[in-house]
Amino acid sequence: MTQNRILQGIPASPGIVVGRAQVFTEAAQISTRHLYTAKDVAEEQEWFREVVEQIEAELTRLKNEISEDLKEHAHILDLHLLILRDRMLYNETLRLIQEENLNAERALHQAYLKVKELFQRIGDKHIRGRIADVETVYRRLMGRLTGKDSSKPFSFKEPAIIVARDLSPAETTQMSNVQVLGFITERGGKTSHTAIIAHSLEIPAVVGLDHATLEIETGDLIILDGITGVVILDPDDSLRRIYQARRADFEIFKSEVVLGSAMAAVTNDGLPTRVMANIEMPEEVALVFKYGADGVGLYRTEFLYLRQRHLPTEEELFQDYKQVVEALAPRVVTIRTLDIGGDKFLSHLEYAPEMNPALGLRAIRFCLKEQKIFRTQLKAILRASAFGQVRIMFPLISSPREMQEGRELLESVKKELKKDKIPFDAELPVGAMIEVPAAVTLADLLTQYADFFSIGTNDLIQYALAIDRVNQQVADMYQPLHPAVLRMVREVVQAGRQAGISVAMCGEMAGDPLYIPVLLGLGVEEFSMNAMAIPVAKRVIRMTSLERAKEFAQKALLLHTVEEVNDYVTREMDRLFPDIFRFGRPLANKLAK
Amino acid sequence: MPAVVERELWVENRLGLHARPVAKITALAQSFEAEVTLEKDGEVADARDLLAILALDCPQGTRLVLKATGPQAREAAMTIASLFARKFGET
Repeated sequence: MTQNRILQGIPASPGIVVGRAQVFTEAAQISTRHLYTAKDVAEEQEWFREVVEQIEAELTRLKNEISEDLKEHAHILDLHLLILRDRMLYNETLRLIQEENLNAERALHQAYLKVKELFQRIGDKHIRGRIADVETVYRRLMGRLTGKDSSKPFSFKEPAIIVARDLSPAETTQMSNVQVLGFITERGGKTSHTAIIAHSLEIPAVVGLDHATLEIETGDLIILDGITGVVILDPDDSLRRIYQARRADFEIFKSEVVLGSAMAAVTNDGLPTRVMANIEMPEEVALVFKYGADGVGLYRTEFLYLRQRHLPTEEELFQDYKQVVEALAPRVVTIRTLDIGGDKFLSHLEYAPEMNPALGLRAIRFCLKEQKIFRTQLKAILRASAFGQVRIMFPLISSPREMQEGRELLESVKKELKKDKIPFDAELPVGAMIEVPAAVTLADLLTQYADFFSIGTNDLIQYALAIDRVNQQVADMYQPLHPAVLRMVREVVQAGRQAGISVAMCGEMAGDPLYIPVLLGLGVEEFSMNAMAIPVAKRVIRMTSLERAKEFAQKALLLHTVEEVNDYVTREMDRLFPDIFRFGRPLANKLAK
Repeated sequence: MPAVVERELWVENRLGLHARPVAKITALAQSFEAEVTLEKDGEVADARDLLAILALDCPQGTRLVLKATGPQAREAAMTIASLFARKFGET
């Protein structure tokens, strides 16, 4: 084998490790045998039942022995136990052996294919995804039936890097007893089960590495870099030394970042900033605490409207909001009102699909038209405001008129609540999301109608540069550091500052450590992001001085093209924050959707 | 012709009929002396069959019709209906 062979996969869990590979391969081909006598049939059925019982016993034992830190995955094993005895798999296999005279492997395979076909028609992608569990059970059974057991308990003694086509929950849970250094799989993406397990075990993983089980053999020495997705086969001494050093650097960086996540984000010359989390569901409150957020800068509220086929009631909305607000009090929770279009909306509203939904009837426009829906949401938010610190913001504001109308509606809902003696925060701040270029131009006027601004960069960049980033043809022109975007941010910050209202930024740009110093220099003092990006963002802020950031931003603003700005910022960040650049971005983006 | 007990059920929990609630339904269905089916828009699944119910694809807001026959048809229907009403212990 040649030395230093480099393979590239998808980085799925950060970290670096050097170790020996342990490769797990698939079960063998399925054979077909015809059963001629009733005795053959009876024996084949008996054999199948026996195998099912064996596996049932194994899974049950596994479930009872599961180690404490993986307890939450035990329910997956319960599910596998149920699938094992499911009528469509178990009874159907027995039936096929009996009626079609098929051998057990072939019968099981046919039963499995039928289930698979049925599942492909399921609309809900979470439920459709459960086919992965059926497949795991199927593979386990098949491995035992064919004698090539792909699922026997992991028995290696030495610590090893696991290489497999894919890893099922049952397989990974067995690994808690042996020392696993890292994972390499052929399948899967950043949110695959392997990635999630690797994160919870805090070991590196590379997924989506084609042909990994063919390229790598058990016993091979490999370097696994879960930060870049690189896997190096048979590295020479000098390369190993380089990676050992890189590993040490990363571990130090990571522990510092984690330690600092609970501390306030103050620049090293004393400017306090707020680093907030973007959330979508009450369940995410735990992440807000875990990653040290100062509050919630963007609570997206679409989930309840999209998930169900009826409109959520005021009470349902209120319960969700209250849960978040109460748990986080006295931290601020910024609730964004419904940001949704008529076309994407529920079937009980009759709106035709739009040619151009990004420019259509959505967000505040939709809410001002469908006032009943909007009032219900406003009422729920106001009621929740009695339980903590709530701010409300309207999305897609493009004129003072929309702010006015939104606020008028809010006032009339307040009156209703007052009449019914229902408590709420009378001083609840009302903000405008700045994500339409018109709002940037009118920012100075909008300060008279808004108590705060929050710049939504995802949409602002799309509208300002006329780029649909889902469109492959132009996606690479979607550039957060475009001079036009930087100038817009500056304009909004200046308008806010003159009027004495705060300016926050939510959207992906705010959570990328590469952009944070420039944004600080432009005057942004509140950042809201995916919770997992917070520890790194805080570290960048603490390492930056406001003075330095201002110079940085000034220079960037002088440049004419986005290429120049990108070069400049990348170069400077690499020079000033080599660690952030090497490790911080992968760490901040880990598991990001 | 045995008497059929029929009930209308609504999926009210937020996540719909995903693996865990379905596991509860199948466990209950198996514990009665009754044949229980769940029907959605004409598609029928045996209530003891986990994969078949999952495949019915029932997000929040789905309407199902439960049909039960057998000596314990009434008990089975009532218990399963109350499981739905309690949203399977979820939100």
